[in-house]
Amino acid sequence: MAYFVDRTVKMTWWERLYLPAIIKGMYITSRHFFINLFGFVPFFLGQKKEREIFTLYYPEEMAPIPVAYRGRPVLAINENNLPNCVACGLCEAACPAYCIDIIPGENSGKQNEVERWPKEFTIDYAVCIFCGNCEEACPEEAIFMSDDYEIPMLDRKEMKFNLEQLSVPIEKLKDRVEFTRKMYGKWNY
Amino acid sequence: MILELTITLVKILFIIGLTVGFFAPVLTWVERKQSAIMQDRVGANRADIMGFTALGLFHAIADAIKMFTKEDFVPQGANRFLHTLSPIIAVIPAILTFAVVPFGGQYELWGTHVNLVISDLDVGLLFVFAIASIATYGYVIAGWASNNNWSLLGSMRTASQMISYEVTMGLTIIGVLMVYGSMKLTEIGAAQEDFLSWGFFMQPLGFFMFLAASIAENKRIPFDAPEAESELVAGYFTEYSGLKFGMFFMAEFIEMVTIGAIVTILFFGAWHIPFLSAATILSWLDFLGANGANLVLMLIHIAVFFAKVIFFIWFQMTIRWTLPRFRYDQIMKLGWKILLPLSLANILVTGLVILAVH
Ligand code: SF4
Ligand code: SF4
Repeated sequence: MAYFVDRTVKMTWWERLYLPAIIKGMYITSRHFFINLFGFVPFFLGQKKEREIFTLYYPEEMAPIPVAYRGRPVLAINENNLPNCVACGLCEAACPAYCIDIIPGENSGKQNEVERWPKEFTIDYAVCIFCGNCEEACPEEAIFMSDDYEIPMLDRKEMKFNLEQLSVPIEKLKDRVEFTRKMYGKWNY
Repeated sequence: MILELTITLVKILFIIGLTVGFFAPVLTWVERKQSAIMQDRVGANRADIMGFTALGLFHAIADAIKMFTKEDFVPQGANRFLHTLSPIIAVIPAILTFAVVPFGGQYELWGTHVNLVISDLDVGLLFVFAIASIATYGYVIAGWASNNNWSLLGSMRTASQMISYEVTMGLTIIGVLMVYGSMKLTEIGAAQEDFLSWGFFMQPLGFFMFLAASIAENKRIPFDAPEAESELVAGYFTEYSGLKFGMFFMAEFIEMVTIGAIVTILFFGAWHIPFLSAATILSWLDFLGANGANLVLMLIHIAVFFAKVIFFIWFQMTIRWTLPRFRYDQIMKLGWKILLPLSLANILVTGLVILAVH
C-alpha cells in the first residue's frame, strides 16, 4: 500500500541549531573511541579478556563455536586407535554432493581382525556442502561434523582429505557425539 | 649570514620533514585506526615486517609502495599535460602554507635571535588564504583534464564550495584581526600568552565558523560533496591512480595539519601553555643557564604547539567519522544563508565590544 512520509516535520529551534546535535554525536563517538582505546591496548600487553571492544582479532582469537555448528566432517577414531567406521557406504549414498569416496577392506577369516574397515576414505571439501547428511546417515557414530571451518587452500586438489587427514580422536568430539545422539537418536523420532 | 641561512634551512627541513615525512603517512594510518576504534572495529593491523605489526603502522609503508608501483593511468581523451599538472598544483600550496606558520615563539640562543617561523611575513594570514585558494585550480583542472563527467561534476562542486566558504573564512578572521590588531601570525600567537586572551574566548562564534569553513575548504566529510562516493564515484580524482592519486591524498592530509596549525595559532593560544607564562618556565629552568633554559623552553613550546595541532587533527577526524555528508544544496545554504550573515554579525559585535572596552 502506498503511503506518504511526512517530510515537513517541524523542528524546534534547538534542533535547528544543529550544533547541540553535533556535539552529542561527537560525545558518543569519542566516548566509544576512548573506551575502546583503553580496551584495545591491553590486548597487546597480553590481557585478552575483559575489554570493552567486543570485536575479535580473528586469526589470533577465535569465537566460541556452538555445538550445533557444522564444520568440516571428520572420522572418529576410537580408543583402540581404529576408525569407528565399518565402511557400510551409507554416508556415501546419503551425500547429496557425492564427495565421499570409500574403498572398504574386509576380513578374510583371520582371527583378531575387525570385520570391515575403510581401506581408504576420502572427502573432497571442495565439493562438500556441509549439510551433515553423512553424520545423520551413519549407523556407527563414525562420522561427525567438527567445529573446524578453516579449510581454505590454494590448490583444489589439496582439499581432498584422506583417511589419515580425516581422523580425529573421539574424545575431541564428545560434545558433538552427545548432540547427535539427542538429534538423531531413535527416541527423537 | 651563513648562520641565518643554516637556521632557515633547518626550519624548512624540519617543517617539510614533519608534514610530508611524518604527518602525511602517519595520518593515513591514524584515520583508519581511529575510525575503526570509534566504530568498535579492530582496524588495519595485518601489514607486518618479520611478523611484527606495530599496531598496523606499516600499512603506511605498504600504501607508499603500492602507490609507487601502480600503473599511472591516463584516460583516453584526457589532457595529458594538465592531468599531470593538477595534482602538483593541489599539493604544493598545502605544503607552501607552512612557510608562514610559526611553530614556536622567539628565543635568544647564544646571541642569535631564533624566530620559529620560516618567513615572518607581515601579511602572513593573507598569504595563507591566498596560497590555499590556489589549490582550487588544482582540483578544477583535475576534473576538466580527466575527460570524465563525474570528475567534472566533482570539480565544479569543489569550485563552488571553496569559493562560498572562503568568503566566510575571510570574514571570520577579520574578527580575529580586530582583536589582535595584526596580520602577522607570530604576533597573533605571541598576543595569546594569557589564557583568557586566547582566540577561543575572544571569538567563540568565530572559532566554530572558522572550523566549519576550513573543514569545508578541505572537502572532508561532512562537506565532501566534491568527492561524494555514493554520487560521483570519487569526484575530481576518479581518473587518477598511483602516485598522482597519492598526491591528492597527501594534499588532503597536509591541509588537515595546516588547518590544525592555523586554528591553534588563531584560537588556541599557539605555543602557550594555559596559566603558565614563558617567564615562569624560564625561572624554573634557571639552573640550566640562560641559553640552556631558552633551548628547553623552545623545545617545550614546539612540543606544546604540535600537541595542540595533533588534538585538532584528532578533532577533525572525529567530526569526519561522526557526521553524515550534507546534501549539496544544504552546503550552499549553510555557507551563504547562515555562516555568511553570522560572520558579518560577528564582526559587528566584535567592533562594538572593542569600542565599548576602549
Ligand atoms: S556434509 Fe553433506 S556434502 Fe559433506 S560429506 Fe557429509 S553428506 Fe556429503
Ligand atoms: S556411514 Fe558411517 S560407518 Fe558407514 S561408511 Fe560412512 S562413516 Fe563409515
